[in-house]
Amino acid sequence: MVKISRSVPTQASPGRRFGISRRAFLKLAGLAVAVAALGRLIKRPALGTIVPADNYPEGEGVITEAYPATSCLNCGTRCATRVRVVNGRAVKITGNPLSQVTEGANCARAQVGLQVLYDPARITTPLRRTNPARGRDTDPGWTPISWDEALAEVSGRLQDLRDDGEPHRLAIFTGLNTVSDEDILRRFARAYGTPNLITADGLDDEAGQAGQWCADGHYSRSAYDLARTNYILCFGAGILESYEPLARSLRMWGKIRRERPNRARVVVVDPRYSVTALRADAWLPVNPGTDAALALAIAHVIISENLYDAAFVSRHTRGFDDYKDLVLGGYAPEQVAPVTGIPAATIGEVAREFAGTRPAIAWRGRGATGWPGGTYTAYAIYCLNALVGSIDVPGGVIYQEEPPYRPLPGLAPDAAASAGLAMPPLDGRGSAAFPAARVVTNHAAEAMLAENPYPVAMAIGVNANFNLTAPGAPRWDEALARLPYYVHISPTVNEMAGFADIILPATTFLETWAYDHSPPGSGFAEVRIKQPVVAPFYNSRNIADMVFDVATRLGGSVADAFGNIGGSAEGLARYRTAGLMPWEELLAAGVWVGPEYQYYKYHRIFDTPSGQFEFLSGNLAAALQKIGEPTGGDACLPHYQPPDFLGEAGAYPLLLTSYQPLLSVNGDSRDYPWAEEMFLVEHGQGWTNFAEINSATAQELGIKDGDEVRVESPFGSLKTRARVFEGVRPGVVAMARGLGANPNEITGVAYDKISGQAARGGTRVRVYRA
Amino acid sequence: MVIDLDKCTGCQSCSVACKAENNVPSGSPEEHTRRLTPFWQKVIAVSSGEYPSVSIDLIPMPCMHCDDAPCVTVCPARATYKREDGIVMQDFRRCIGCKYCIVACPYGARSFNYKEQEEMPYHRPDLPPERADRGPWPFPRRVHGVVEKCTFCFHRIDAAIEEGKKVGEEVVPACAEACPAHAIAFGDLDDPDGNVAQLLSSRQATRLREEMGTSPKVYYLLR
Amino acid sequence: MTGSFITLEGRSRGYRNAVIALGALALAGLVAFIISYVAGHQTFGSSNTVPWGLPIVLAIYLIGLSAGSLILSSLTYVFGREEYRPIARLAVFLAVVLIFGAMLAILVDLGRPEKFWRLFMFFYMNNMRSMFAINGILYGGYFVISLVYLGIIFAGKAAAARITGIIAAAWAILVHLGTGAIFGFIAAREAWFSALRPLEFLAAALTSGVALLIVAVVATFTLTKREVKNDMIASLGRLLAAFIIVLLVLVFIDKLTHLYAPARDAVIYMLAGPSSWIFWVFQIGLGAVVPLVILFNRKLNKTVRWLMLAAAAVVVGVFFERYYLVIPGAAYPQAYAPGHIEGVWGATGSFALTPIEIILAVGIVAALGLFYLLGLKYLELTPALPPETKDDGETDP
Repeated sequence: MVKISRSVPTQASPGRRFGISRRAFLKLAGLAVAVAALGRLIKRPALGTIVPADNYPEGEGVITEAYPATSCLNCGTRCATRVRVVNGRAVKITGNPLSQVTEGANCARAQVGLQVLYDPARITTPLRRTNPARGRDTDPGWTPISWDEALAEVSGRLQDLRDDGEPHRLAIFTGLNTVSDEDILRRFARAYGTPNLITADGLDDEAGQAGQWCADGHYSRSAYDLARTNYILCFGAGILESYEPLARSLRMWGKIRRERPNRARVVVVDPRYSVTALRADAWLPVNPGTDAALALAIAHVIISENLYDAAFVSRHTRGFDDYKDLVLGGYAPEQVAPVTGIPAATIGEVAREFAGTRPAIAWRGRGATGWPGGTYTAYAIYCLNALVGSIDVPGGVIYQEEPPYRPLPGLAPDAAASAGLAMPPLDGRGSAAFPAARVVTNHAAEAMLAENPYPVAMAIGVNANFNLTAPGAPRWDEALARLPYYVHISPTVNEMAGFADIILPATTFLETWAYDHSPPGSGFAEVRIKQPVVAPFYNSRNIADMVFDVATRLGGSVADAFGNIGGSAEGLARYRTAGLMPWEELLAAGVWVGPEYQYYKYHRIFDTPSGQFEFLSGNLAAALQKIGEPTGGDACLPHYQPPDFLGEAGAYPLLLTSYQPLLSVNGDSRDYPWAEEMFLVEHGQGWTNFAEINSATAQELGIKDGDEVRVESPFGSLKTRARVFEGVRPGVVAMARGLGANPNEITGVAYDKISGQAARGGTRVRVYRA
Repeated sequence: MVIDLDKCTGCQSCSVACKAENNVPSGSPEEHTRRLTPFWQKVIAVSSGEYPSVSIDLIPMPCMHCDDAPCVTVCPARATYKREDGIVMQDFRRCIGCKYCIVACPYGARSFNYKEQEEMPYHRPDLPPERADRGPWPFPRRVHGVVEKCTFCFHRIDAAIEEGKKVGEEVVPACAEACPAHAIAFGDLDDPDGNVAQLLSSRQATRLREEMGTSPKVYYLLR
Repeated sequence: MTGSFITLEGRSRGYRNAVIALGALALAGLVAFIISYVAGHQTFGSSNTVPWGLPIVLAIYLIGLSAGSLILSSLTYVFGREEYRPIARLAVFLAVVLIFGAMLAILVDLGRPEKFWRLFMFFYMNNMRSMFAINGILYGGYFVISLVYLGIIFAGKAAAARITGIIAAAWAILVHLGTGAIFGFIAAREAWFSALRPLEFLAAALTSGVALLIVAVVATFTLTKREVKNDMIASLGRLLAAFIIVLLVLVFIDKLTHLYAPARDAVIYMLAGPSSWIFWVFQIGLGAVVPLVILFNRKLNKTVRWLMLAAAAVVVGVFFERYYLVIPGAAYPQAYAPGHIEGVWGATGSFALTPIEIILAVGIVAALGLFYLLGLKYLELTPALPPETKDDGETDP
């Protein structure tokens, strides 16, 4: 037997057994070691230090750097920011320390501005629809057109409508826009002759505003003197999540908790254990829609135990006796406890705490007021402030000073415009249906579908997306599908834009000229500038510039209305902020801060018939009288109206509620990964939302955490995953808005009659495994 | 670092600002669920209790920059090491991607780059560690296969120290800067008059997983 | 040293087919590696919760096999047990091949494999407190020593072989104690953290080493028409039984300790969680119960076929033991703060294996099989056939 073997055992060498000879291996190893050693000898900066910019290869590193001041627009707070722009690119957004409203703070959304600016889904050029068919899932067949063509066509249509004597048949839908764009659009509507400027406010918190208006004539959100308050009783407000000005609340939270000797106490009333609730000192899981009863029960305790501020009540209020009778008569804690689900003892405790810790604030939010009857709820909560003397005092409710913009020249609408403006508004504001409403956004859809009071011929949407954000959203799909002509203006295509005939690409807030200010919150006024931090991308334009252009094309009195006010977005901003400070200084600083807030303005602050804070609302009485409604009984007093639920309790045993998490960027986080991936902090989850159900409810329904479920209302159904969550009342289904399944699609349509607020609460649903 | 959990509002500004500051990539929903997406600073929700006595704590967790860091102990290539001022650094150049440090970290502070990340238009071009130690070696920047983590924004601190600014007052990491509630304080632990020492003496402070013996340098002031 | 050793002819169809098949699989593994090198570890099933996957499992498994095999060879070369001499060379060769495979598996699992040389920069650039770095010395040294050992054996130098054998066996013990220490010294992972881990690994190494040796020897001898001595295999079987019992005891003590310790949840998850069937069916069932039943049955434990079966069961069972420790053992979420951590940060890691990972692992094993076959052909590893038997090259190895 012959051995055939190539191995030479005595060599003790790996040979070729492993594919590489030992020699080669050693060579390589030696080379590696040599290179390593050589590297050590080459001079290099010490480990972990930064290479100076001049040592970068050519064209790398920071070549140019700038920090323009501007402001954010990812929510209505419009915080002042500074943007770091390196080599012509925006790379970081930080706060502007000169801003006193936020004291230089921003929320997480401000950071997301970079993803808004560089959103790959941005429209690059005006688009025209080629597919006449319209629908949510229909492909519009966009084709690019030039600005000139687009604006010529739009102005042409506007001109035609005006020439036909029907300017009122133009509707303008606005979502979140800069204050300067809001001003310019309002001016346009007036000059053009349409009363139908439909803002998104009717989807927000009109009831909350109307509630305050009943008491003191201010149809606005309340401003709270947070820095000095000692107690916050929050009803359904997302103070740390969505209530604007949000960054101010976030900054003040830190201040009132641990930056002063008194740690403020916070109690949150909410059916859901929101972020605000979990950060607070106590959570009262109230039955949805019963906040008014709770507020009045608290008033009951305060009044019956004589804990109220008698001096303030006697000196500066009217109608206290009627109010007292109502409260003491029907709102004892024992009566209210079964309605609200809060034990009487707790109600008493909270009431005594609230009245005993001065100054205290009763803070109302959409969760409580977004119901039919929401105005009265807001009124009831607001009155608690008066009860404890927290009106226009340090640490209490204060009244927002408006920025002293240079007034726009008076506008005299021409004959055509006047005729148009005299027509009844599309949304029914101020009518018998909505006597005190300033805007009834959601009703516009019905009006359009019913062609009542008249059919809409043309509409322009500016940064709006009611098809996503309005309760009963599918009606907007129908309504827009029927529109003869629709123009949409925004940086990206959204649901509403999908119905457009023409889309005009607007600049994002980081490329735009504007002036801005926050909603009520700080008390003192503050103006913020917006200036482009980078040149506008693609072919996008400022909204104001578009309006100026169209106005010029329309000519006549419309064009006249836009003369001498700057002529462009930049010019407008400059015009309106003239007198505040020199323009260059304003651009450099980014903010103008108004004078310090003055308290105790009781002699002039109440805009009511009596000139005082009214527990019995004269303003409301006047509005009701105008439409022939009774004003007696509790019609003009804050009171609890048991909600009219939409859906039979038998078939739909659960109650749907929705909320807005902080990382919901203007109601829609879908293009922004930073907002999406951390979307729901309480659940540690991102990229989606859930149907949040209490464990007891889930058990009854046989649903486990993570199960795919359908949530069905009388108006529609959606599919999502269940999240078994201890932080929601049994019998309630909570869903986040802004990402994932849209609860607006299955929410029914109801209104707070007085303010026209679209109610988000009140829809009953059932949930079952999908 | 001292994080005041009573001031913290759970807003996640710290998390997002960190991503923006350090070019940390985002991922897809699947990647997020599987924990493939890098996160340098995360806010965890710790829940306990049953309705209605439920409690959720939101706790921001950057890298703890432990004094006895298990990651430093286990890294074979010395890609992670504690520098003199206490910051635990991460050197992409040395990292061989063995993931031993991820395994060893009790705080889940470390992330591996499971794929080559897209460079976004808003990424800053001047960022160490991508630019640290740039020399003849390949792979100075974030490539797939290396581990990354919070660096206490050492690039800001080093730049500021060069300019003579005071750490903790005039320069802080991006998360501390972004926190609207001013819940995150940063400074010199050894300075008895410094902001950090004062905060730690103001009330009860704790650290996460102290029983691990890591001596983390992120303290939490309790509610 | 009695008995001579020869190479195989390696010309039979069976042999060739085997070489081709293994080569193809190894090539597939190479392709999978290239894909993972280019695309990144997203092609694996690992994540930041379960960062180590199949390659590491394979690596520690192979190290264990290698160490076990080498230690067993010392029975002959150190302790002079002649009945194992026919297989002793195979044992050493197997050890060499297996440790190389282990190093390959580690290489493949690195995020940046081209920087593997850093693992060998002992004391110069490395942090020698790291068990990984220490193991670099151990594995590298072990590879060299076992090659030297093999060479000395081929040279026929008995005394030198004895000394080298002692060193090699001792080093092998250190190697696998070290591997166990990689896991055992990590406090963050409750299921791993234990002083027993190095010993458990050593026990697993011995167990799987004997088992693999039995399987390899029986297969090799049977397929090359060599006589398989019942007694030798039976005595290996007794050794195997002893090692299994030791391993079982260590596993039991380790798990029991953790059931008492404050940090129990991760181990409870391992013993009773959704994937615990792997533990009970494979690690305990296949790895211990089935083999022990066979090995304690007086009739079965002398039959080569049944011994083979028991050994094969152990080979599979110990693999799953490694798998179960590394992957589900790391999946349980860490308790960053007391309480239930919601969502992603508190979720149990997923550990689905991806095709690339599996192909990679199969490829490495195939490559090792290939080396083994080539070794049989080109090295004098198999005992010479007795004169009356013809080695007509008809069979495969």
